[in-house]
Amino acid sequence: MNNHNQKIKFILNLFALLFVFSLSSQNIPNAEIKTLDGDTTNLQTIATNNDLLIVSLWATWCTPCKNELDAINDEYDDWVEETGVKLFAISVDDSRTVKNVKPMVNGKGWEFEILLDTNGDLKKALGAPTVPVTLIIKNGEIVFRHSGYNPGAEDDLFEELKKYI
Amino acid sequence: MKKIKFLIFFIIPFFGLSQETENQSIFNQFLNNLSGSVESNAQWYVDDDKLGDFYDPNFPLSDEYLRANTYLSLDYNFLKNFTVGLQVESYEPLPLLNYYPGYNETNIATYYANYKNEKLDITAGYFYEQFGSGLLLRAYEERQLGLNNAIRGGRIKFSPTDYLNFIGLYGQQRNGFKVSSSNIFGFDADIDISSALNIEGISSFNFGISYVGKHESFSPDTPSFNTANFPEMINSYSIRADIDFGKIYSSIEYSLKGKDVAYTPPSSGVPTIIEGNYFEGNALLFNIGYTKKGIGVSATFRRLENMAFYSEREYGIPGSNEFNMLSVNFIPALTKQQDYSLSNIYIYQAQPTLQLQDFAGQAGEIGGQFDLFYKFKKKTIIGGKYGTKLSANFSYWALLDATFDENQGTYDAEFLKFGSRLNRDFNFEIRKKFSKKWSGIFTYINTITDKGVTLGGPLGVQGNIKANIAIAEVTHKFGKGKSVRLEGQHLWTKQDDKNWAGATLEFNASNRLSFYINDSYNYGNDVENDQIHFYNFGGSYSKGATRIALNYGRQRGGLSCVGGVCRFVPESTGLTVNLSTSF
Repeated sequence: MNNHNQKIKFILNLFALLFVFSLSSQNIPNAEIKTLDGDTTNLQTIATNNDLLIVSLWATWCTPCKNELDAINDEYDDWVEETGVKLFAISVDDSRTVKNVKPMVNGKGWEFEILLDTNGDLKKALGAPTVPVTLIIKNGEIVFRHSGYNPGAEDDLFEELKKYI
Repeated sequence: MKKIKFLIFFIIPFFGLSQETENQSIFNQFLNNLSGSVESNAQWYVDDDKLGDFYDPNFPLSDEYLRANTYLSLDYNFLKNFTVGLQVESYEPLPLLNYYPGYNETNIATYYANYKNEKLDITAGYFYEQFGSGLLLRAYEERQLGLNNAIRGGRIKFSPTDYLNFIGLYGQQRNGFKVSSSNIFGFDADIDISSALNIEGISSFNFGISYVGKHESFSPDTPSFNTANFPEMINSYSIRADIDFGKIYSSIEYSLKGKDVAYTPPSSGVPTIIEGNYFEGNALLFNIGYTKKGIGVSATFRRLENMAFYSEREYGIPGSNEFNMLSVNFIPALTKQQDYSLSNIYIYQAQPTLQLQDFAGQAGEIGGQFDLFYKFKKKTIIGGKYGTKLSANFSYWALLDATFDENQGTYDAEFLKFGSRLNRDFNFEIRKKFSKKWSGIFTYINTITDKGVTLGGPLGVQGNIKANIAIAEVTHKFGKGKSVRLEGQHLWTKQDDKNWAGATLEFNASNRLSFYINDSYNYGNDVENDQIHFYNFGGSYSKGATRIALNYGRQRGGLSCVGGVCRFVPESTGLTVNLSTSF
């Protein structure tokens, strides 16, 4: 019983701790990711070089991820024109499916910047257990984050995006 | 547990103090430099009148129906270049069904300290790593399968120029809350030749070499065992090259695994190490692709011979390692990864293992896959108003053609000859947007899988399961994030459990809130009592970095795969709560 109480206490403490933490905003991780050409970069560097960007963590095997990127791609030209945004689609495919990233992206005619997080380092640093995860980064700060994709969510993303022009 | 309590009682008073004094800004600074995440997956199992009472084969005496696997990970960044972090894992009161029993109670699972500048990246503690495609080494985390083979030790990454990268590492591999008794040494060098030599006309040209060594001492059970030439140290090497001409690209990787032990087959009693005969392993992976806007094709070939590689040799004993623990390398099945429920019943699992036996022996696998991605242009007959997207995949995998001599403890494998077929899969997917509000996806899969792969037992001798699967889904958007998705599935087969039908209805009330209900019904089962509905319903809410999902239902047992790694799981029924957040 004593042991049981200790566990409950421990869990309460944990929640107190989390509440304190949740007050802070999320940092951009500097975990290494690769370009399709095999060059190493990280999200901090990318955020320094671009004022306004959308980051989408996706995978070739993830149906909602592909739905989201397909939907955004249909309107991407307008978004770029209106907001000057740039989308970085970071694939979390591991070595099983990573060779499909390039042909799939071209096969779908996506116009995004494609990056690879093959061993899940960035995914882990962002604390994202599932994909898709969508971020808006403005002037080096994560100002919006959403996980999952419901059809039509791209309209809300665009509304959100327009706040940061 | 003690360590964590210490941590919490140490940190919380510190927060309390700092909040009410002028230390506010220090406190804020502290929070700004801190990031982390929590994920908790809880399940309340129930007895099921169809599947039987709840039973955990790993803890047969327990009656813990309510369980949670929880992960808390914290990273603290300071003085610009330093980061420290840890991951606490809790499996209380017991791990969820199907998880490795070594994940038990609450403890600090991993911790690290890292220094990183432009050229150097030094880690002490636990780290994750992958060399090349992972044929020799991959340390990673996959919580859904309970896999975390992080290495505890030290790693140095050094990039003297932007075209040269070196990695050196040493450590022991994580096994539950313990580490392996062996030591792993690794070295990897990668050179970007196109930048180094300023080659024009090609997009990229990379070349890499790796070394992975494993040392595990050995003391035989029987004094008569002759330990001469026993491979306590396994030295393995790998070379790889990636070249990209823009539209055409190709990569090749060859790995040679040092001599390792093999075990006698379970069919002749308790498996023991074959004395005096030790075997090298090797892997060849080749990929070539062509792509331009609107089209992409990719072909992959892979040959594996005796490539199972564990940090403790006992984990390679046939049938002993159902949780895939302590794998040093990463050998995924190279087939199409599907995510519909009925498409995941008959799936392939890679077969890198050597099993020396006269009947139904195996030395590895050989095969390949071909992928096509194509977009029918807008304003054509097939393309319609929005364009139509097609993707297709074909894969074929077989045992290596080999002869075995069980008495002598030897075998001989052909280089490029296909043995018994293990899997043949053809599938395609068509995605079409019909109007602003309507869109749909149609998927067809035709697959043949060896019974040994899907159901267990010897490979290539039990016959096949041939299945056809058709899946259609339509989505209707109402606007403002509201939508409804309906999915119908059917699986036809004359073998195993016969036909299945399935359906899913999903209602997205907003971008944040979703509900779903689905059912997979094995109506074709010959045994009337086994014509079971595997129903599930639930909902999820997500906002920012937080997501909570509730689900109630019955899980189908069988081969469960995530990212090409599979294991067999029993059926279960219950209520699931998933909570995740990050900060």
